[in-house]
Amino acid sequence: MGDGKKKDAAKNENDNPFSTPEEDNNFNFKWDPLRNIADDPNEVLKRVDERLDGLEKECFNNKKDKNNNLENIFSLHGVTRRDFLKWSSFLTSALMLPYIFRPRVARAANILTRTPFIWLDMADCMGNTEAFIRTAHPTPAEIILNYVSVNYMESIMAPAGYQAEARRIETVKKDKGKYILVVEGAIPTGLNGKFLTIGAKGDSGLKIAKETSKNAGIIIAIGNCASYGGIPAARPNPTSAVGLSSVTNRQVINIPACPANPVNVVGTLVEYILVGKAPQLDSLGRPLWAYSGRLHDNCYRRGHFEAGEYVRHWGDDGAKKQYCLYMMGCKGPFTWNNCTTVEYNQDISFPMRAGHGCIGCSQPAFWDRMTPFEKPNADAKIILPMVEATADEFGMALFGAAGAGIAAHAIYTGVKKKRESKKTSEKKKSDSDKNDDNNDK
Amino acid sequence: MENKEKKYGDIQLVHRMTVIKRIIHWSFFLAVINNIVTGFYIAYPFLIFGKTPAQSDSISKGIINSGETYQAFIMTWMREFHFIGAVIIDVIFIVWLYLAFFSWKEPLYKSFIPFGDKIAEAGRMVKHYFTLKDKPETTRYQDPLNAIIFTIFHLLILLQMVTGFQMYVASFTGTSAVGGWWPWLMHFTTDWTLVVFGGLTGVTLVHLFTMWLIIIFIVYHIYTEVWRSVMWKEGDILIPFGGYKYIRNKTESE
Repeated sequence: MGDGKKKDAAKNENDNPFSTPEEDNNFNFKWDPLRNIADDPNEVLKRVDERLDGLEKECFNNKKDKNNNLENIFSLHGVTRRDFLKWSSFLTSALMLPYIFRPRVARAANILTRTPFIWLDMADCMGNTEAFIRTAHPTPAEIILNYVSVNYMESIMAPAGYQAEARRIETVKKDKGKYILVVEGAIPTGLNGKFLTIGAKGDSGLKIAKETSKNAGIIIAIGNCASYGGIPAARPNPTSAVGLSSVTNRQVINIPACPANPVNVVGTLVEYILVGKAPQLDSLGRPLWAYSGRLHDNCYRRGHFEAGEYVRHWGDDGAKKQYCLYMMGCKGPFTWNNCTTVEYNQDISFPMRAGHGCIGCSQPAFWDRMTPFEKPNADAKIILPMVEATADEFGMALFGAAGAGIAAHAIYTGVKKKRESKKTSEKKKSDSDKNDDNNDK
Repeated sequence: MENKEKKYGDIQLVHRMTVIKRIIHWSFFLAVINNIVTGFYIAYPFLIFGKTPAQSDSISKGIINSGETYQAFIMTWMREFHFIGAVIIDVIFIVWLYLAFFSWKEPLYKSFIPFGDKIAEAGRMVKHYFTLKDKPETTRYQDPLNAIIFTIFHLLILLQMVTGFQMYVASFTGTSAVGGWWPWLMHFTTDWTLVVFGGLTGVTLVHLFTMWLIIIFIVYHIYTEVWRSVMWKEGDILIPFGGYKYIRNKTESE
């Protein structure tokens, strides 16, 4: 580690009022292999700092603008500098980054508020928007999402009609390759997308999604509908709704859940600002830092699962003692998300803590695959043609049929044998050894 | 005496199951029964251990007080035994696959060659089950009908292995105590089940339903072996105990 590097780092700390001077100068952290920028930690830091410097120059008019930006935003909401420090430390560890990245995460959050955004609302209930903008006591994640520089977002933008359209088209052209595209809601593809038309020109959602995603810097599908089709795509899916990744050939980062957790959205965006590319994704296109843990494994009620202590009815004794909700249909064993660690509602609760099982809303097709929500998975109907039964009912019916068949065959055999032996005994009346089977040898 | 020998035909001993195969048969039996019982519990926990103040001990209600939460861990034990049974079944499946081709005594593939003839013989066996006439001749190899049904049974076991490993690997996060290759191997071999059966919930239901098919096989298997012992008088039921059965070339009524 050269001295010059240290000085650079120290200088950056002083520039940002929302960061503390770096006390720990041990730079020999082990670089998280999830991100693979470079093997050498110093090289990683250098590249991240260079990227942040460049973006700051682009996004802010002058030094004062840059330094006062977050302060202005947060002081409005009563978030103190200390709160913000705590939050940025939390986000750094949630992103599985070493602590040395904390001031850089803070700088990235600062830049994030000035990055051009296009936020598209497709076929859904806009629950994600609602969850972010209507929070009573927003955490820094929600505040940052409220102050991002949205150039186009139907629910909150001032322009309307042709002006709004013009705004979006202008952003796509002007900020080519730079703007962040967030898509919320499934995209109907039936009738060439005519099930969903948006704006003054009546363009289909399919067309808008394709156009805007072509030039985006990074594309985020937020919520289960945008990620996998969600409820609009539930069987029988009359509008042929699909997730965003099915209509564009660009890489899409899925942030599923219903609604998506703001921390996961901001964390992914912060990581994009830091390193300039998408975080590592799992096989379903979700960022590994947020979606690598299974709810069941991190649930605080897991001990009761192992102990065989289950809630059997709503409000029973087990429910009061916070026993496991497995028998009340908790789908935690089938769901990957970070609800149990990052939590919802201003980071204070999540379904199991509130006493209801998980419904698996961050998994594809959860409306079809996770139902019935309040019964164990073993009670779900199996999907076979002409069969309307659970696996146990159908299995037991087959078992009964097999048992009846066996009994019938046994009786048939006995009757037939008797009849035949009667015939033969009539034939060989003289044979005296007929029935002494046990006496031979 | 002569009369009797004539009546029961020429009796000839035939060695069908070696010691190894008999051990495999009964370990398989115990492991499958174990996994059916523990699997039922995991799918639908029928006992509540650990008493809450409002509950009293009742076997009929399925409540047994085994003390504090940390002492009970009934689900942990059920899953533990399920996994132990699964490991035994996996090893047995692989040994079965090996023996099906390389057994010195009675490789299974001999019951399939030549294929057309053997299928025809299996058809005759089915016919025999319902007419009680024209029993196909007993040979020193397994009869083709049993060979086909046992193969199907082992394919069901393979399906249970694949779906079971998919559920097992779900709690892994990229690595394990023995290294990253182990979850990787399970993902590599079983991730297709997620696509085919519709996610982890579908895989679970397939695992549950296949169990019923296996139970039906067990009942069928016991019935046919008893039936054969009664009807053929060749001691088929003795095979998994002593390893031998008899061949009678001439039967009583024919």
